[in-house]
Amino acid sequence: MKVRLAVLAALAFVTNVDAADKPDLSYCTVCHGAHGNGNPAIRAPKIAGMEPWYIRRQLELFRDGMRGTHPDDYPGHEMQPVGVRLRDDAGIEAALAYVAGFQPKTPPATVDGDTKRGSSLYETCAACHGAKGEGNQSLGAPALASRTDWYLVTQLQNYKTGLRGDDARDTNGAQMRAIAATLPDEQAIDDVVAYINTLR
Amino acid sequence: MNQALSRRGFLHLVGAFGGSAAVYQAALGMGLLPTVAHADRPDIAPIGGKRRTKVVVLGAGISGLAATYELRRKGYDVQVIEASHRAGGRNLTLRGGDLVDESGYPQTCGFDRDPDLYFNAGPARIPGHHSALLGYCKELGIQLSPFINDNRSALVQDDAMFGGRPIRNREYITDTRGFIAELLAKSLKPEQLSASFTSADYSRLLEYVRQFGELDGRFTYTGSARAGFVKHDYTGPEKLKQPLAISELMRSGFMYVMSFGELDDQSAMMMEPVGGMDRVVAGFMSKVGDCVRTHSQVESIRLTERGVDVVYRNDGKRTLVQADYCLNCIPMQLLAGIEHNFPPEYSGGFTAVKRGKLFKIGLQMKERFWEREGIYGGISWTMQDITQLWYPAHGIHRDKGVMLGAYTFGDDVGEKWSRMTPAQRIEAAIQQGEKLHPGYRSYVEHGVSIPWHRMNHMLGCSARWDDSVRDQWFKRLQAPVGAHYLIGDQLSYHSGWQEGAIHSAYHAIADIDKRVRGQAAQVVAA
Repeated sequence: MKVRLAVLAALAFVTNVDAADKPDLSYCTVCHGAHGNGNPAIRAPKIAGMEPWYIRRQLELFRDGMRGTHPDDYPGHEMQPVGVRLRDDAGIEAALAYVAGFQPKTPPATVDGDTKRGSSLYETCAACHGAKGEGNQSLGAPALASRTDWYLVTQLQNYKTGLRGDDARDTNGAQMRAIAATLPDEQAIDDVVAYINTLR
Repeated sequence: MNQALSRRGFLHLVGAFGGSAAVYQAALGMGLLPTVAHADRPDIAPIGGKRRTKVVVLGAGISGLAATYELRRKGYDVQVIEASHRAGGRNLTLRGGDLVDESGYPQTCGFDRDPDLYFNAGPARIPGHHSALLGYCKELGIQLSPFINDNRSALVQDDAMFGGRPIRNREYITDTRGFIAELLAKSLKPEQLSASFTSADYSRLLEYVRQFGELDGRFTYTGSARAGFVKHDYTGPEKLKQPLAISELMRSGFMYVMSFGELDDQSAMMMEPVGGMDRVVAGFMSKVGDCVRTHSQVESIRLTERGVDVVYRNDGKRTLVQADYCLNCIPMQLLAGIEHNFPPEYSGGFTAVKRGKLFKIGLQMKERFWEREGIYGGISWTMQDITQLWYPAHGIHRDKGVMLGAYTFGDDVGEKWSRMTPAQRIEAAIQQGEKLHPGYRSYVEHGVSIPWHRMNHMLGCSARWDDSVRDQWFKRLQAPVGAHYLIGDQLSYHSGWQEGAIHSAYHAIADIDKRVRGQAAQVVAA
């Protein structure tokens, strides 16, 4: 009887460790919403339909402390420890597979801006992200069309102010930071995102 | 015998014939006793017939559980869908071995397994006027004990005064009142008062000021028993503490919270369930637990011709529930990420109302050192980020105790805490606690931190309604859309309190009852 109890206790311990070790991927949708289509109330973007290679890179950046560590990037920091939890390639692979099962929805357009001015500003963006915002994996540029537009605004602001792309190890981020710096004003961000909304 | 009866004489007669309840009712009628109106528990009509009205409840928080309990008693067919691993919502009592389900930082509570070693991470006290909640405690057999919220022997610490040295709460309150009273008594002149103030009124006013500050015969404040004594050695004469320097006292931000314990919701007499606030959850679950399904995240809510369709996911499997009515206590900040077909003039509110960022830390202490310092229960205040220390009123004089090591309300400070790892938070809380209780660190055995805006399936506490948002959205969100009702403390004028949650549930189920009665009447007429 004593032996059996000991075995049971050991099993319980193992189960516990296992539960703590293996992130439950259904937590993704707690923040990112049903089917990962985004939640504006907590500023968690749409991740459904995002390119797996791009998600992988962002999860690695979060995990390795290259994104979401700036003290003023609060929503980024909400994600950062989750990246750390995914820990290794196996964790990230599992997350990618999970996200791949989502059914993407076109998010509502919420950003107002001058699409004409946005269109000319977008010419710079198009070089990497494509004329239709379709993205270009070989250049490391994700698709922009049909993303949550408020998230694009926040990220352009973050790049501009150095909340993102500030870590020298994040070469893609540094490149994007330099380009965001060329956007002349806050209105330019809204204009270019309003134009991206027309590419859906 | 035509002599008019005095009011007291009349009451005496009523008592003689009708007993004390009659006296009480009569007194209310005559306006002698103060009375406060409460939200009434709705009188739901029992469901008869073959087809029972089906209600799906989203979220097993207090509002969802109370509504379920009420409706099921009257024959409704109720199903509760809960996303997390447990029922109760923010009514969370942590004990050894419990999961603290924080996004990115899951922690396991490491307290010893002992009936007195628990931490109420959410609600922790019940005011005497929260009659709906107290009514359930009585009905469900939940034993209550007094909760000590305000303790004048607890400490006040602020780096801005006395070089950071803590003082007793009673010293701050008494010495500042004494100073203010002396200042007023010496500067108040009869000619400053309006003509309707007689000289007798003036004398009475001065006397009030004297009593307010406990001034001496010459209207001077020289210390008071309210501020305490230098020692409690009753073999010799008592010696009052010297009043503290007013210039130091006035430097402290404590003035903004010094009246906290006088608030309607925070003043004696307060209660707590014996064994933890989640005894309330256990009480409800003993009645309705069989219809609550945990680990079930809602994916979509759709208004239909018939009622409401809900899809939820449990262990990767999707299930459709079709109900006549839906009571929804999912926090609005999460609802904004769930698929729905609500009109925008309704769903727009989900993002308009902001989420609060309350934060708590619980620390298991190997020794109840505070009791040696003459502190039995209550709250110490500090102007550091931890803001409050609570001393448990249960388990007095036992070896160990679980203290509250931080409780913060502001968004900025909440974010500051949540940016740290759990280990960093405990370390910061220990460093700050040292300023109130030297040697604090040596007592800490284990700590848990609960940033409510990072807790899975919650991501906020509590709903922040500013006036303009309330004007624009509250009525719209409180009213149903189709057969869908938003409930919870978030849809009350008392967010952050279980009583607010229950009242919102009452509001919604009373409306459902009205609609169901209306339909029954139509059927009869047909």
